Amino acid sequence: MNQQSDTNQTHFGYKTVDKDSKASMVAGVFHSVAAKYDLMNDLLSMGIHRIWKRFTIDCSGVRAGHRVLDLAGGTGDLAAKFSRLVGEKGQVILADINDSMLKVGRDKLRDKGIVGNVDYVQANAECLPFPDNHFDLITIAFGLRNVTDKDKALASMFRVLKPGGRLLVLEFSKPEIEALSKAYDLYSFHVLPKVGQLVVGDAESYQYLAESIRMHPDQDTLKGMMEDVGFEQVTYHNLTGGIVALHRGFKF
Amino acid sequence: MPMPQLLAGALELALNKVLALDPNSQKRLAELDGKRMRIKLQEMPWPLTFVFSSRIDVLMDQEQPVDCAMALSLSHLNEMQDPANISALIQDKKLSLNGDMHTAQSFAALMKELDIDWEEHISRYTGDVIAHESVRLVKNIHQRAKSHFLQLGQIIKDGALQEKQLVPHPLAIEDFSQEVNRLRADTARFEARLNQLEQRAKR
Repeated sequence: MNQQSDTNQTHFGYKTVDKDSKASMVAGVFHSVAAKYDLMNDLLSMGIHRIWKRFTIDCSGVRAGHRVLDLAGGTGDLAAKFSRLVGEKGQVILADINDSMLKVGRDKLRDKGIVGNVDYVQANAECLPFPDNHFDLITIAFGLRNVTDKDKALASMFRVLKPGGRLLVLEFSKPEIEALSKAYDLYSFHVLPKVGQLVVGDAESYQYLAESIRMHPDQDTLKGMMEDVGFEQVTYHNLTGGIVALHRGFKF
Repeated sequence: MPMPQLLAGALELALNKVLALDPNSQKRLAELDGKRMRIKLQEMPWPLTFVFSSRIDVLMDQEQPVDCAMALSLSHLNEMQDPANISALIQDKKLSLNGDMHTAQSFAALMKELDIDWEEHISRYTGDVIAHESVRLVKNIHQRAKSHFLQLGQIIKDGALQEKQLVPHPLAIEDFSQEVNRLRADTARFEARLNQLEQRAKR
């Protein structure tokens, strides 16, 4: 089990805070960045986040009629695509703990004409408000590191996933090459906050982003955490040298 | 960076941009709604899966079932534009097709019947006069280039056939082929006659 689960304290970036206050602190970050979230994603990743998300969709095995939960779905990049792939008979639920992000995502999808098979739910990943064995696929992209109790969230995802269903976790991870890691650190701690200050007027949120990435479990630790809650055939695939990793696990 | 996803993204963007330029494409696309088609090009290591809805999504998914799966060479892709060619390509073993042939034909029709009013689209950014002149210029260049290529082809053909005599004239090849056929027939007759004589001599 994750060490953080056993105490009343957890990480918020490099700071140690009470578990009860992390959710509201993370909420503050995302309320601040929600309006320009997509622009900042494109700017900071140089558009590469779109390729990472494409890879996630290619590994999803989703097809017409499936029921998909896009957790921490933010501004709905994955949900938009899933909505077309599952068709009229399928269902996509875009869930996020943060109502600002959810509103931005809902407006964006509706403006694109994506309606009918997409529902929006404000939900905490640690206690998902869905029945057992309900979804064919759950995705959580760049969201797990913000969750206070990751083990509890993974267990909750396992519960609502159908037998035969799969979980995909797309998240920042640990670069495989030391030189890349150093360059990435330089970029994260010196460029990221400055761009955040320039575009959103908020350097602190992007400082948190950089710190939270470093505090997130590495590839093998996350794999172990998924296995601990019951996922089987857990594998991960490093993307862009391990800056991001896609973990995949099945419930049987 | 995953290159296949980059390629699929670029292709998806291009396909949907082009379809958006033709107001009638939605009607043809509606015929494919909900269908999935996989194309494996011999020159590419990964198959492309096309999922049709109000737009086209291009995936690198290889595990999910599709309505129609095709395998062919890039050089024959252009011939696929005409739905009437599909049967001929299958017969010539240039195209392997599994599943619903109608999906392949509808996709071919979707692309073949694209009718884009380039002048109209360019005029939104440049105004009517510049758009008209630009399109006229491009059409002229295209016509001239086509005519020059035809001329160049003819010059090379004449030079190779008549001046340098590097290759035989098509009529000479035809005549030679007929001579070979005659010789083959004569040899066959001679062989049969020889066999007949041998049989008689043995008796």
